[in-house]
Amino acid sequence: MEIPLLLTASGLANGALYALVALGLVLVYKTQDVVQFGHGEVLMIGAFIGYSLLNYLGLPYPAAMLAAVLACGIMGFVLERIAFRPIAYHHHITLAMVTVGLSFALKGIARIPFGADIYTFPRLFPDTPTIVWGKLIVTPQHLVTIGVALALTIGLFVFFRSTTMGKQMRATQQNLTGASIIGINTGLIFSGTWALACAIGAVAGVLAAPDALLYPDMGARFLLKGFAAAVLGGFESVPGAIVGGLLIGLIDNFAGFYIDTAFQEISAYCIIILVLFVWPYGLFGRRPTHRV
Amino acid sequence: MTRDLIHRWFAPVAIAILLLVPLTTNSYIQFIINQVIVYVIIAIGLNLLLGYAGQFAFAHAAMMGIGAYTAALLMHRLGVTFWIAVPAGGFAAAAIGSLGALPAMRMKRVYLALMTLAIAELIQWVLVHWKVVTLGTDGVKIPHEKFLWFTLASDYHKFYLILAAMAVLYVVARRLVESKFGRSLVAIRENEIVAQCNGISIAHTKAAVFAVSAFYAGIGGALFALVLGHIVPDGFGLFQLVVHFSIVVIGGLISMFGSVIGAVLLTTLPELLRGVRALQELIYGVLLMVFIIFMPGGIAGFAKQRGWLPDEILVRGWRALQARLKREGGS
Repeated sequence: MEIPLLLTASGLANGALYALVALGLVLVYKTQDVVQFGHGEVLMIGAFIGYSLLNYLGLPYPAAMLAAVLACGIMGFVLERIAFRPIAYHHHITLAMVTVGLSFALKGIARIPFGADIYTFPRLFPDTPTIVWGKLIVTPQHLVTIGVALALTIGLFVFFRSTTMGKQMRATQQNLTGASIIGINTGLIFSGTWALACAIGAVAGVLAAPDALLYPDMGARFLLKGFAAAVLGGFESVPGAIVGGLLIGLIDNFAGFYIDTAFQEISAYCIIILVLFVWPYGLFGRRPTHRV
Repeated sequence: MTRDLIHRWFAPVAIAILLLVPLTTNSYIQFIINQVIVYVIIAIGLNLLLGYAGQFAFAHAAMMGIGAYTAALLMHRLGVTFWIAVPAGGFAAAAIGSLGALPAMRMKRVYLALMTLAIAELIQWVLVHWKVVTLGTDGVKIPHEKFLWFTLASDYHKFYLILAAMAVLYVVARRLVESKFGRSLVAIRENEIVAQCNGISIAHTKAAVFAVSAFYAGIGGALFALVLGHIVPDGFGLFQLVVHFSIVVIGGLISMFGSVIGAVLLTTLPELLRGVRALQELIYGVLLMVFIIFMPGGIAGFAKQRGWLPDEILVRGWRALQARLKREGGS
């Protein structure tokens, strides 16, 4: 009985990370129809900013992490304005191709100062041993991850339901033309969504880095897991992204333990291929209607 | 009139000049030129898929890997001659590529890209981990084969082989895009429903273009293996794909000549920044973004706008028709 419990706990923690990655992907996709292939690198940049502030400027941990998240949010805002707004109404292939370029540009930027080395990212509670709760054993880092992800999810829920900005974002996602007709500043919404998505990506980055280690190529793995989570959730649904992420975390852990550890490496690819073949619109997606 | 003349004689003259190239180069420059030509082949394949058919697939580098590994393993393990191994690489890639087209038939937009990305990553994972067959990360060495006076040890000899392959594949691609098939591709890119209403079989056409594009990538990959002499799985990952994307986009989508320009520019560029991976990534990434945002037609598109390059015509005889209409309209 203990093993499934342990697998569930760490699976949920990893899943919470994947859910955050998927959330960023889904938000951008819903608003602007862009598949963000550079999202993994946003996560990596966020983690590197946090690391630099912590190590070279000596900021306290929470302040450094908050600053990293803010910096990534601003980066997202600016990127949207200069790189995506001029081509906002172009074909989706064009937009996705720009994000592919973005992904490699960001990787190059990180590799210039940090090189090919692998860095260890400090934990928030380095001295606290694992927490034992009856038969359940959790590392503090996992607990922090689940806690932050939960808080962020609730915060986003409130943001989308009750704030003007959140409602405007939802309106823009549902009907771009309609939203601009009733006077919503859709440009600002685009930039705001990118800022939000990149900030969430940075949160995932600083949460993932202590366990995943820090290097310029770290983003690819999380991007694929995030894609798998988003695909499972239907790619257009915020709750879908969260459920999909948690499921991917659990599937990874259980299949890795009971089938083969190699499965954890390829699970993302297998899930993407399987879901798209069998059930292309995921758990929460709707079958699109074709209009001629 | 002079433009038509230039257009007609450009290819033969270019090939004649290319044939004389080895007289003027040293071994290192010859090696780079060989790579350029291989990338021309690969870029033409990607241009068919991405530019003409508008299918945003991520598996081109993986298909190149399939071609390279099929050819290299056949030669290394079974001692098959490259005359058979290289086409085998192309056909293996085409077979797997047309399988990859299965999802493309029912999937649109984001899903095709994701699916092919997953397939490409899976293929690379197999290349690394199926050590019994692929030798894993050690890579495969290509034996130096001799055929009469022809030897694979010489960059100059390889040059003529690759050049011949490129010339044939270039002409075939030109013919393809000018044929009914090429027009079906463009029709599908522009509007699938309209294409279907005009009696174009979406499934067959897509499967065909995926197979053809993968064939080009496979042949390119196999020749790439001959040029390098030693291949590793890491060479066929996402970075390779970004190189392909950059070549096609910067050279110019929907232009065969653009692929040539792109390959020449972007294969020689990293030689100038040799070894500095960070700079290569940064420059490829930024160039890709800048070109898509500010010059979406690439260099070829820009040249067409200025009238330096003729517009590519998808319907053969279009020029003659235009001329006749003009005459009749005038009279």
